[in-house]
Amino acid sequence: MVTADMVDASEYPELADMYHVYGVPLTVANEKVRIEGGMPEPMFIPRVLQGIGVSINSPFVQKD
Amino acid sequence: MPLLKDSDREQLQKEFEQLENPVKLVFFTQALDCDYCPLTQQVLEELAGLSDKIQLQIQNFAIDKEPVYEYKIARAPATAVVRVETQMVDGVAQTRDRDYGIRYYGVPAGFEFGALVSDVLDVSRGDSGLTAQSKAVLAQLQEPLHLQVFTTPT
Repeated sequence: MVTADMVDASEYPELADMYHVYGVPLTVANEKVRIEGGMPEPMFIPRVLQGIGVSINSPFVQKD
Repeated sequence: MPLLKDSDREQLQKEFEQLENPVKLVFFTQALDCDYCPLTQQVLEELAGLSDKIQLQIQNFAIDKEPVYEYKIARAPATAVVRVETQMVDGVAQTRDRDYGIRYYGVPAGFEFGALVSDVLDVSRGDSGLTAQSKAVLAQLQEPLHLQVFTTPT
């Protein structure tokens, strides 16, 4: 269900332009949500899920 | 000239002694209009040379349509990190590839080389290293999640 690409921004400038990559790391989830910078796993996963509009029932994920 | 220093090679060989299942690096290259394909191939060849458990399979992005489709490869150079599993079917050992959806687009150099080494170890083990809590949350996903992590070689 989860796929992950590492993309070298300098080698694929057209992709970097498309997602407005100005700093790295930048994570794009499902081609729409941009998450700038690195962060610990307990922060990162809720950010991704909220970004793609998934509400998952877990104390670990903050509800809107 | 090798990219890896002797000392790095020795350290990695030691680290790869813990590999359980074999790991296959499926590399997609193309002859034309791909400045970084040869360098990527050299990195992967050196990595595969460090352990019998790391295999390198080279595919032509422009010609080998079947693996390009199977691994959903969008551009070259690209590398898929795949687990090779063996199972017994009617008393005969058969291998099959298990694809966890991990792809590298570009040269896995600098920090990304370290990330690739970690991925090889994780894929061999068959464990992402995420916490049980994260796994429980992600297991509830109903729709595919595609992450693209942009980096620059440093």
